[in-house]
Amino acid sequence: MLRRLSDRQAFALLGVLLAVAMLASAGIGAFSFTPAEMARYAAQGLGWTPAADADALGRNVFLSLRLPRVLVSGLTGAVLGVSGTLMQGLFRNPIVEPGLAGTSAGAALGAAMVFVLGGATLSFAAPLGAVAVPLLAFAGGFAATMLVYRVSSSLGKVNVYTLLLAGIAVNAVCGAGTGILSYVARDPQARNITFWNLGTFTTADWPAAGLIALSFTACFAWSLRSARALDALMLGEDEAAYLGVDTRALVRRVIVANTVMVSAATAMVGVIAFVGLVVPHALRMLRSSNHAFLVPASALLGALLMEVVDVLARVAVPPAELPVGIITALAGAPVFLWILVRRQRLAGAGLDG
Amino acid sequence: MVELRGVSYAVGGMPILRDVSLAFEPGRFNVVLGPNGAGKSTLLKLATGLLRPSSGSVAYGGVDVADFTTLELARRRAVLSQHVELAFALSVRDVVAMGRFPHFARAPTAHDRDVVQHALEMVGMAPLHARAYPTLSGGERQKVQMARVLAQIWPEDGGDGTEAGGGRCLFLDEPTTSLDVHFQIHILDLARGLLGRGCTVVAVLHDLNVAFQYGDRFFVLEDGRLAHVAAGADDVPRELIERVFRVRAHRVRDPEDGGSFWRFAL
Repeated sequence: MLRRLSDRQAFALLGVLLAVAMLASAGIGAFSFTPAEMARYAAQGLGWTPAADADALGRNVFLSLRLPRVLVSGLTGAVLGVSGTLMQGLFRNPIVEPGLAGTSAGAALGAAMVFVLGGATLSFAAPLGAVAVPLLAFAGGFAATMLVYRVSSSLGKVNVYTLLLAGIAVNAVCGAGTGILSYVARDPQARNITFWNLGTFTTADWPAAGLIALSFTACFAWSLRSARALDALMLGEDEAAYLGVDTRALVRRVIVANTVMVSAATAMVGVIAFVGLVVPHALRMLRSSNHAFLVPASALLGALLMEVVDVLARVAVPPAELPVGIITALAGAPVFLWILVRRQRLAGAGLDG
Repeated sequence: MVELRGVSYAVGGMPILRDVSLAFEPGRFNVVLGPNGAGKSTLLKLATGLLRPSSGSVAYGGVDVADFTTLELARRRAVLSQHVELAFALSVRDVVAMGRFPHFARAPTAHDRDVVQHALEMVGMAPLHARAYPTLSGGERQKVQMARVLAQIWPEDGGDGTEAGGGRCLFLDEPTTSLDVHFQIHILDLARGLLGRGCTVVAVLHDLNVAFQYGDRFFVLEDGRLAHVAAGADDVPRELIERVFRVRAHRVRDPEDGGSFWRFAL
């Protein structure tokens, strides 16, 4: 279906679907809002119309809980979608995503260190204040991704088996580290870590939305400008270099951009797996692997998917909430297995891709 | 003109190439010969600027290769490798269009699109332009890659910092290995077609009969050294072939057209 549209039409279609999903996500939940109510609260919040006392409760819930949550989930989806696209382009393999390559687990470990040990033990983190969590998340995510990339690539080629095995090892070590932290943590902290390891949007607030938006915007702009170089990289590092791409700088920048946005998102909402895998894969199958299309489209589709998952998380088991990571894993893991089976069949028939 | 002056290359103290000096001249089909492990691929990577020599220098038209940016170099020379696997499905046209990446700033111009179309027609892949690259046969894929490198060093280009026609180089790294005879001949004919337009062609070839059919300059590598330079197929001594490739060789005359080919035995 997407194949027949132009790039712009495809973006417009995904954009409209995303807008509808965001509207639905903003309205549905323990508190439900009609579009008219939402418009009224938003106008009051912006000071366009005087704030009515009768609206105080609904307005507060909508403006300080629901709205940032909708933004955080959408932005997180966009981050994971674009990140999956970048990682798959870098590793030249469609089964890579930030969860597999260690980025999320590394970021989670970094952030958990701040949660549990806090300023008292990590004396260097104390003066950093609120920035400590995203900063350590970035350090952890970067170290983990770099390690996996270095181990799995030699002579300009990435060995995907080594990559997956290195990913398993790095994920295990980071998971163990997070495990130790939750073991020594006092109860409320431990509960935080557990919940957060499964991914959750319940803690979403405006600063979180701001941080993810900032890191996403910067990395997205850079990814768009690098679309051509990422296309060339599909041919391999040597061929890309013959086409005038500074591949070493490209590889470094992809890892940095990817880690910046994934760490920021992970620090705020926890670990959400499989979105980064499924989104680019679906777009490649529906349309094409050109990065000029793939980068913006994976942001839109990632955001769309995450809004839907977040609504499900809110309405599935009322009044409780499911961690979103559980839903993405339940839905994403079968898709991952299906991709593997399909690739094996294609390989058996002498076709790749 | 591509010149190597006293080029040596070593990895971790292991010498791979030793003091190689040679010139690949424009308008000639330069062929690099040598057994496996003689350093042919390394020589090509040094000549294309992908690797930097441990000592010595590589120059394009008298300018040291280190003085070019990767982009400037990409407008001047293209490389056709043995197998190019594509990580993801792109259309044939998209793959060929990559050859124009070094030439446009933001979006491809009408000229870029024309070049892509002509390159597709030249290799005979225009009818399959919308096909997904991974669904092609090995020979068809290599034709598409040939169209991509042709588009990259399109001889009629100009106005992007390089002069039209002159100074362009095409490197072929075992381009026809594992291709059937039709595709071999097709790829090498296309390369030969560039010679009249002032291009330099440099090919690493394994099949000696194919090499002698196409080449007009031969550079024989042996253990990382340049063992022999020949100005024509007849100037490559039989003893040299026998020593370097560790075979017995004899030349067979073709009674029909007076040409000759080689037969080998251990």
